[in-house]
Amino acid sequence: MILVIAEQRDGALNPATWETLAAAQQMDAPVTVAVLGAGVQGPAGELAAADVAEVLAVEHDALEPYTPDGFSGALAQVLEQTGPELVLFPHTYQTRDYAPALAARLGRMLIPDCIGSKDRDGRRVFVRPMFQGKFVADVLPEGSAPHFASFQVGAYRADACRRAAAPAAVRAVAVEVDAAAIRQRPEAPFREAKQAVDLTQAERIVAVGRGIKGQEHLPLAQDLARALDAELAASRPICDSGWLPMDRQIGSSGQTVAPKLYLAVGISGAIQHLVGMKGARTIVAVNKDADAPIFEVADYGIVGDLFEVAPAIVAALEGS
Amino acid sequence: MERETLDVDVLVVGGGPAGLAAAYRLARLNEERGGEPLMVAVLEKARAAGAHLLSGAVLDPSALSELMPDWKDRGAPLDVPVRDDRIYFLTARRALPFPVTPPPLRNHGHHVVSLNRVVKWLGEQVEAAGVDVFTGFSGTELLYEGDRVVGVRTGDRGIDRHGERKSAFEPGVDIRARVTVLADGVRGNLTKTLIGRFDLDAGRSPQSYAIGIKELWDVDPGRLAAGSVIHTMGHPLRFEEFGGGFIYALPAGRLAVGFVAGLDYRDPLFDPHVAFQRFKRHPLVANLLAGGQMVRYGAKALPEGGWHAIPRCHVDGALIVGDAAGFLNSMRLKGIHLAMRSGMHAADVAFGAVRANDVSARRLSEYARLVEEGPIRRELYPVRNVHQSFAGGLLPGLLFSGMSLLTGGWWFRDPMPSHAGHERTRRIEQYYRGAPPEPPGVPIDRALTFDRLTNVHYSGTRHDEDQPSHLLVADTDICRTRCIEEYRNPCTRFCPANVYEIVDADAGEGKRLQINASNCVHCKTCDIMDPYQIIDWVPPEGGGGPSYEGM
Amino acid sequence: MKIAVCIKQVVTRDWPLRAAESAKWVRDDDASFEMNEPDAYALEEALRLKERHGGEVVVCSAGPSRVSQVIREALARGADRAVHVASDALSTAGADTVASALAGAMRDESFDLVLTGLQSDDQGFGQTGVVLAERLGLPHATIIMEVDVAADGGSLRVKRELESGWFQWLSLPLPALLTIQSGINQLRYATLRGIMAAKRKEIRTVPMENAEARGQRILELYVPEKASATRFIDGPAPEAARELVRLLREEARVL
Repeated sequence: MILVIAEQRDGALNPATWETLAAAQQMDAPVTVAVLGAGVQGPAGELAAADVAEVLAVEHDALEPYTPDGFSGALAQVLEQTGPELVLFPHTYQTRDYAPALAARLGRMLIPDCIGSKDRDGRRVFVRPMFQGKFVADVLPEGSAPHFASFQVGAYRADACRRAAAPAAVRAVAVEVDAAAIRQRPEAPFREAKQAVDLTQAERIVAVGRGIKGQEHLPLAQDLARALDAELAASRPICDSGWLPMDRQIGSSGQTVAPKLYLAVGISGAIQHLVGMKGARTIVAVNKDADAPIFEVADYGIVGDLFEVAPAIVAALEGS
Repeated sequence: MERETLDVDVLVVGGGPAGLAAAYRLARLNEERGGEPLMVAVLEKARAAGAHLLSGAVLDPSALSELMPDWKDRGAPLDVPVRDDRIYFLTARRALPFPVTPPPLRNHGHHVVSLNRVVKWLGEQVEAAGVDVFTGFSGTELLYEGDRVVGVRTGDRGIDRHGERKSAFEPGVDIRARVTVLADGVRGNLTKTLIGRFDLDAGRSPQSYAIGIKELWDVDPGRLAAGSVIHTMGHPLRFEEFGGGFIYALPAGRLAVGFVAGLDYRDPLFDPHVAFQRFKRHPLVANLLAGGQMVRYGAKALPEGGWHAIPRCHVDGALIVGDAAGFLNSMRLKGIHLAMRSGMHAADVAFGAVRANDVSARRLSEYARLVEEGPIRRELYPVRNVHQSFAGGLLPGLLFSGMSLLTGGWWFRDPMPSHAGHERTRRIEQYYRGAPPEPPGVPIDRALTFDRLTNVHYSGTRHDEDQPSHLLVADTDICRTRCIEEYRNPCTRFCPANVYEIVDADAGEGKRLQINASNCVHCKTCDIMDPYQIIDWVPPEGGGGPSYEGM
Repeated sequence: MKIAVCIKQVVTRDWPLRAAESAKWVRDDDASFEMNEPDAYALEEALRLKERHGGEVVVCSAGPSRVSQVIREALARGADRAVHVASDALSTAGADTVASALAGAMRDESFDLVLTGLQSDDQGFGQTGVVLAERLGLPHATIIMEVDVAADGGSLRVKRELESGWFQWLSLPLPALLTIQSGINQLRYATLRGIMAAKRKEIRTVPMENAEARGQRILELYVPEKASATRFIDGPAPEAARELVRLLREEARVL
């Protein structure tokens, strides 16, 4: 049995949960999904729509709000009661906070941040990036079950998660959590504007290069970024010239990013730039030079004048 | 601003073969002579000893054996003795072997090495001997009392690109020393100012230089036996250009492939990086590299002027050693052993001077005597005119080199007259007398041949991006007005790291010079070769630069 | 306050790496190494905490003999002494092995606070800190942006980063372990005096307790290949743009 650990906050499911379910459904074993917290009937009901054997609702007042101590303690009991071969998580900040401790407590080690899983000579291996995405590794879990793995957000599609004709059964699983033994005392989460631009967390990035020719043309790229709800970034020459601040620089001397969408306009694709963005899921390049190396890593390419193509993309986005 | 100071007896600036040999010798002398030990420190701008060093390299171990007779037991990485020496003259398609290898190029008893690894190891020996090796610190100016050198100021760290202090700002330190040994390498920035201040090159031939560009390749280990040494002349150079290629085989299928081009070419459109790519496309080289992988890249200038171009190397309180002084035998293509030898001489002299409490130029001139009477002159004097003889072209040069073996290097005009290399570059209209033809380009396939920018990536070069440019161009107007017409901006060709680019001016009118300072591999070619001599290479923030591991 | 900082030595960022012959690891025999950058921020935070609250900073590293380079660098920046768990087997070890090795060497030191970087630039497991906390029986918090020590010195209040611009303060008792978010402070330079002083500082080398790696094994390490050929979209700009937007919506589903 594969146990997927759902993530919710205030009753709202983290969409990455569906992605992990999709990953689990592609393996040849029945899938069960567990959701932890206080008052998880809502999300449990939502999860029941998925093509899973069962939904486990792990209720306890001490599981709200989330704490690593509370969650590892509770999940250890769930695992003992259900005996899964494989425990899968979405690779979120919350998972990173407690799943390694849970695995360690059971004498295992989490295989984190996986982008895929496959059969290799009859064994299930997990594929994960290493060396900042320059390599990937096929990793084999060793020792006896359960094994633990987490999937990178975006590695699977949420809509690839199969739904069942009839909702799955929701079963309450009782756990004991001693609130007094939880050592972390969290306060309410709050939003805050970041001081620095953290492009590594951006879902979509529009990156501009030397093809933009002059600072006066930057609004073109800014419009494109706005229309795509993307962060604006640049290759080194742009930041070197001071047209954009240095924290917007992608590449070996800037940030390494892996967004869902990376739209490179007027970037030729020097290796120094490529090493910083090759890990993006979908890469689009707009460049007037058909031989530019950026096209070697691009999924979609438009060979053309960015001064025509960029406004056209904005128009196409706004027109629909 | 308050600066920290640090007092030492001998400060060695530069942790290359010369500097580290000096430091090691001083540590040994401390031990052998007893008494209050001299405090010795080494300053090195690279993050780690050896990270900015580039050489072929075939090492003549004579100096090392004298410095450290037990180098084998200490694990010196001199892994491969030379087993085989070959020289070819290349035409565009063919490789004609020389029937015999001329004696100066015979390498029996020498070792194919990675100089980076040798120096990293030497650095460890020096530290273990009790010397402070400060890596990641550049020496930015010499400290004087009157006309006596009394130490070095290290660079401020934590200055942003606009010259403002960042929050981590750390002012440079004044390291005061009784004797300062300048081992700052070819065209060293401190040596350059010292020579200028005291006219140390008065009456000497101008120093001439070459640029060496090198890649490390991993190929099928059966391709070329470890210890094989190949030198080439001819293609892609024309008779008027000085230089040649080399291929040295290290263990496990690793090849050092490089090309040396004299920085005294006449053709303003000559491009050493393109020449190197063309060299690799020659069947002799391409067949060796086929299917292999380029794993490292680097470039560095080397002093080729020889005996007559060595400046006075002693002043009150300071000595100059190694490539900074120009101790390189261009006929044997070797300088490491001479650099080490000069460092050892300097150490002997500095030690005695500090002990005698007399660091005057007079006392330190003992160094010149050791150079004159020792192995350095014995080796360099007979070949004193070799490089100059190539000024007339390859054939006269070869003829002279052969003959000089008989005459002991004598020539009717001795020293043979020579010019600074940058003065020999002709203007476009002088050289081409009309519209120049399309220069010989080279197809870039990113398998055998690479563009500069890709190559730079393989040099491991990194600088803190937020710092002022360390390439000071006195007048960038010259670039877009005069140079573009007269020489077509040769900086874009002689720089092997794509530091200099001519781009469209911001307003869309005309061109401007763009300096990509963080690409700089510290080769010094721009400082040497710029025809207007308006480029001044100064050290960037300590720790920045290439990372020549394994080179 | 007795603070431990765990640092790892990794291959220099942007080093042109290739897979080793075995395809189990990278070829790093002649690579250049440096302090794992996230750990440098942890070290800086520890030094600042020491400046505010006194005590000592002990740098702990598990790895082959070459890691003495980063240990000395940490000492030069101001750490007071070091513990080095030395074993060649640690050069490619996973988070579990490293955490166990560190725990074995750190247990008797009874640190008040243990800091680690967020993750390593090589394996990127991002869990050495959390597993170490588990092994040492310490409460932990991860991805920490700010650290306040309570006036009585018995507990911490820390700011943790959540996703998408959310943050959260939480309190936890000391002793504790924190993994530090990168970029939260400005790293200091090592000074000449620091480098000289580092030479006299103690580096305690301890052997590794149990060397066997467990939990997982790398079968193969390889360069990721692009899934499919580039799809070029032709035609006049407005048409090409419309087609691109359609593909991004319907095929790539990134809009």
